[in-house]
Amino acid sequence: MNDFIDPSYEAGDAAINKKREFPLIWLLPICALLVSGWLIYKTLSEKGPEITITFSSADGLEIDKTKIKYLDVEIGKVSDIVINDDLKTIQVTAQMHKESDGYLTDNTQFWVVKPQIGLSGVSGLGTLMSGAYIAIKPEKGKRERHFAGLDQPPVLETNAQGRKFILETTNIGSMGPGTPINFHGIAVGEVLEYELAKNADNIKLTIFVNAPYDQFIRTNTRFWIDSGIDLSAGADGFKLRTGPLAALLAGGIAFRTSSDDKTTDIVPENTSFQLFDGYDQSTQVIYHRTVKVVMYFGDSVRGLTIGAPVLLRGIPVGKVTDFNLEIDAKTADIEIPVMVEVEPDRIVVVNKQANTTVKENIVHLIAKGLRAQLQTGSLLTGQLFIALDLFPQSKVVTHNNTTGYQEFPTTPNSMNQIVNSAQAIMDKISKLPLETMTVEINKTLESLQGTSKAATKTLDIATGTLSSADKTMQSADKAMSSAQQVLTTLEPGSTTQYELNQLLKELTQTASSVKQLTDYLEEHPDSLIRGKKEK
Amino acid sequence: MQAKANALRQGFIRCHDCGYLVKTVDHLLSCPRCNSHLHARHPHSLQRTTALLLSSFFLYIPANIFPIMTVNQFGAGDAHTIAGGIVELIDNGMIPIGMLVLVASILVPSSKLIGIGLLLLCAHFRWQINARRWTVMYRVIAFVGRWSMLDIFMISILVDLVDFGGIQIIAGPAATAFAAVVILTMFAAENFDPRLLWDNQKNL
Repeated sequence: MNDFIDPSYEAGDAAINKKREFPLIWLLPICALLVSGWLIYKTLSEKGPEITITFSSADGLEIDKTKIKYLDVEIGKVSDIVINDDLKTIQVTAQMHKESDGYLTDNTQFWVVKPQIGLSGVSGLGTLMSGAYIAIKPEKGKRERHFAGLDQPPVLETNAQGRKFILETTNIGSMGPGTPINFHGIAVGEVLEYELAKNADNIKLTIFVNAPYDQFIRTNTRFWIDSGIDLSAGADGFKLRTGPLAALLAGGIAFRTSSDDKTTDIVPENTSFQLFDGYDQSTQVIYHRTVKVVMYFGDSVRGLTIGAPVLLRGIPVGKVTDFNLEIDAKTADIEIPVMVEVEPDRIVVVNKQANTTVKENIVHLIAKGLRAQLQTGSLLTGQLFIALDLFPQSKVVTHNNTTGYQEFPTTPNSMNQIVNSAQAIMDKISKLPLETMTVEINKTLESLQGTSKAATKTLDIATGTLSSADKTMQSADKAMSSAQQVLTTLEPGSTTQYELNQLLKELTQTASSVKQLTDYLEEHPDSLIRGKKEK
Repeated sequence: MQAKANALRQGFIRCHDCGYLVKTVDHLLSCPRCNSHLHARHPHSLQRTTALLLSSFFLYIPANIFPIMTVNQFGAGDAHTIAGGIVELIDNGMIPIGMLVLVASILVPSSKLIGIGLLLLCAHFRWQINARRWTVMYRVIAFVGRWSMLDIFMISILVDLVDFGGIQIIAGPAATAFAAVVILTMFAAENFDPRLLWDNQKNL
C-alpha cells in the first residue's frame, strides 16, 4: 500500500493538474443541479391549488386527461375521480394552475361541456374529438376549494353586455333555453331559462338581450312568438308571414318597439312583459281600463269561448273573460252568467257630459235599449260572439245577480227567434187531424177517377167529330181547286183578261162621259129641261 | 508476485498514445517517442468521474419526474413520464416492449449510476474486493451505456416521423435530461480508470 506508487512522480504531477482541472469539471454537476433544480422549482411554483368538485356523474371525465378550461384556456386538470360515500355523486379532484387561485371562490360555477346538437345550433363540437372538459365561470367571492358542479351549463356563460327581461306566457311551445330573440330579424338575444309560476298559471321566461339592442326594450315594446308560418286569407288575397329559418324549426321570439316610446322610456332590467301568441295579437292595442259586467243568457252558450269578442255594431269593445253554470237550489233555475270585460277607451265619446262615469253611461245606454245578444260568428265552427245593439222594444229582464258586477240585459238571438217560431209552426202541424184528412183525400181521389172516365167518353165523341171534320176539309179542298181553275182563266194574256180589260176601258170611258154630263148638268142644271145649248 | 503485477510499481509508464514504455526514473513528462503527455493513470480519473456522476444524478431526478413526451391528439395533450409510459405499455398488453423500455430506460441508467458510484467508492476508499469481478462490472457498464439511448432514439424518431394529421408528438423536458444522463454516465464510465481498482489491492 505504501510503496507501490512512486510518490515523487504522482505527487508532483497531480498537484499541478488538480488546480487546472477543478473549476472546469465541477461546473458540470453545478449546472446539472441548477437546471434540474430550476425545472422542479418551476413546476412546483406553477402548481396551483387542488380543488374538489362534486358532480352527479363522471360521464366523459377521465383522470389526467380532462381539463378545466375558462374561455378555452386550460387552467387545470382532473387528477382524480372518486365515488362519494353516498354512492350517488362523484367527486372530481382537480389540480389547478397557480393563476386560477384568485377566482376559485364560493360563487364560482363548474359544469361539464359535452357536444350538444340542437335545432338552434351546435355547441361543444370540439369536445367530440378532445373529450369533454370542465368549464368554469369565475365569480368574485370568498376563497373556496370544494365546489358543487352544475348539471346544466349556467344560463349565462360569459359576462356578455346586455340585460335580462322577463316574458310571461301561458304556453312554452317549442321554446326553451337558447331560443333566439329577433329584433327586425336580427338575432339580439336568447332565452336563458323558463320557470313555471308558483300558482302554475303562467310561465316566466328569462331572456337576455345583448347590448346595444337592450336599449330598444321600452315601455310599449311588444314581444310575440315568432315561430312557424302565419298564413292568413283576407279580402286582398292570401298573406304568408314567416319567421327566420331557425325560428321556423326551433321557435323564436320577436319584439318591436313602439314609435311612441322615447329613450326615456327604456325600462330597467328584469321588467316583465307579456309574450303574445302571434304578431297580429301583439299589434292590438291594450286597454288597461276595463269595466266588468255580467250577462245572463237564456240560450245555450255552446260555441262561446273565453276571449270571444264583444262587438258593438261590429266593432270590438271587449271580450268574454269567464262564464260558468249556476243552478238555483230553490227554484232549480239554470243560469249562465257570462263575465264580460268591456274596454271603454275603445269608444270615443263625443259631447262629453261632465261628471258622468262609465257605469252611468252604460245605464243610459241600457235605458235606450242596448242589449247583448249571442250571435254565431262562424257557421263552420259554430263560434259565438256577443253582439251589442239597440233593441228599443226589448224589456230589461233582471236575474238573481250573485257576481257583484253590474248586470247587462240580454235579448234572445234572432236566429233563436226564428228557431222558436219554426218550432211553433211545427207544433201546429203536429196538431192537424192527419188521419181524417187522408180518408177525405182518398174519397176525392175516387171521384176524380170517375170524372176521368167520363172525360174518356167525351174524347171518343170528339174523335168522331174530328173524322167528319176531315171530310168537310176534303170538300173544301175540292172547292179550292175549282177556285184555282177560275183564277187560271184570269191570267194575263188570256182572252178573258183581254175582254175584261176592254170592258174596264169602256167602263172608264163611260164613267168620264158620265162625269162630263154631271159636270155640265151642275153648271147648266136647266139643260135638263131646255136641252143642250149650242155655243 | 505483487511487484510484477504492476508496471508502475516496476518503474514504468506506458505512453497512452503510442504505447511506448518509459521508465519513471527518467522524470520525463512527455513521451520521448511521440512527445505526448505521459501519465501513469487517467489524470484525475476519480474527480472527473465523480463530477460527471453527480451531474447525471442531478439530471436523473427531472428525467424521471417530468413527462418524457406528450402525445397531442386532436389538441388534447397526453403527457407520459418514463415510468408512466412503461405502465401504459404493459397495461395495453405490450409486455415485451414494456420490459424492453423498462430495462433500457430505468434499470440500465439506474444500475449504471449505482455501479459507477460503487466503483468510485471502491477506488477512493481502497476497498479490498475481488478486482476481477469488479472489472467485469466496469466492462458491462461501459458497454451497456449506449443502449440506454433507446428511449431517446425512439422519441426522436417519433417526433420527426409520426405525422398522422391530428396526432403530434412533442418531446418533454425529461427527454433532454434523460439524454444528458445517458451521455454523462457514458463519459463517467470512460473517465474511470479501471486500473485504479487493481492499484489498491493488497493481495492479488
